[in-house]
Amino acid sequence: MTGSRVLVALRVSAPPERTFDAFTSEIGKWWRPSSLFRFTDRAGSRLAFEPDPPQRLVEIGPDGERFEIGAVRAWDPPRRVVFGWRQETFAPDQSTEVAVRFEPVDTGTLVTVEHFGWDALPQEHAARHGFPLDAFQHRHAEWWQALLRSLRAHLTS
Amino acid sequence: MSARAGAAAVDRTLAALADPVRRRGVELLAERPRRAGELAAELGVSPAVMSRHLRVLRDAQLVDEEHPQFDARVRIFSLRPQPMDALKAWLADAETGWSEQLAAFKAHVERG
Repeated sequence: MTGSRVLVALRVSAPPERTFDAFTSEIGKWWRPSSLFRFTDRAGSRLAFEPDPPQRLVEIGPDGERFEIGAVRAWDPPRRVVFGWRQETFAPDQSTEVAVRFEPVDTGTLVTVEHFGWDALPQEHAARHGFPLDAFQHRHAEWWQALLRSLRAHLTS
Repeated sequence: MSARAGAAAVDRTLAALADPVRRRGVELLAERPRRAGELAAELGVSPAVMSRHLRVLRDAQLVDEEHPQFDARVRIFSLRPQPMDALKAWLADAETGWSEQLAAFKAHVERG
C-alpha cells in the first residue's frame, strides 16, 4: 500500500469477541453518516459486511442497491479484519485499505484502526529504487511535517 | 477542490516522491531555493538527469521555476507548500472521520 497512513485507537468496555462482532455484523447500526466519508451521494443508506462470512463491505441504498466499498482481505475473528476502501469520488484506479485490530486489555478491548492512503506507490516501484516501503509508510507524515516546518521557517525568515 | 481532484493531487504528490533523488531534492529546496545546476551537483547527477527529475516535480506542482531577470537561461527552483497541504488535509480528514466513527461505535457497544 501507499505513502500515507492514519491511525486511531480507542478502548471499549466489552470483550474482543463481542467487540469484533459488533464492529462487523452491526456496522449498519453504529456507523454515522459523515461528510468526511461519503461513499455515494445517496441519502438514507447503511453499511453492511456481507454475506456470512463476509467477502465485502457495501453501502446499501434505500432501494437496496449496493455500492461496494471494498473486498474483505483478511477475516480473523476476534482479532483482525482488513478491507478495501473506495468512495465513489475516487478515480477508478484509486483504492485505500483499512485494517482493524482488536486486542484484549484488562478493561475490555483496544480497537485500532489503520487507514492506508492512496495506492500511488506500487510496491515494485519502491522496491526498484531500493527503498524500504514500510519505513516510508511509517515515516511519511513525519517527513512531511518536518519539511513543512522547515519550509515555513524559510518563508517567514 | 473536489474530492476527486484532491485525491488526484495527493496521488501525484506521492508518485513524484517515490524516488530517492527527488525526495532529496525536495529536502534541499525546503532549506532554500536553488538553481538546477546546484541541485545536480549536490545530488551527484548529470544536468540532464536533474532536468528530468525537476520536470516531474514541476508537473506534480511540488516546485515552482523562475528565471532571474539578468539571465533567462538560469533556472531557479523553489518548493511549493500546497501539495503537502493537500496530503495533510486528507490525513487530517481521515483521522477526524475515524475518531468520530469509533466514538459512535464505543457508544453502541457499551450500550449493550
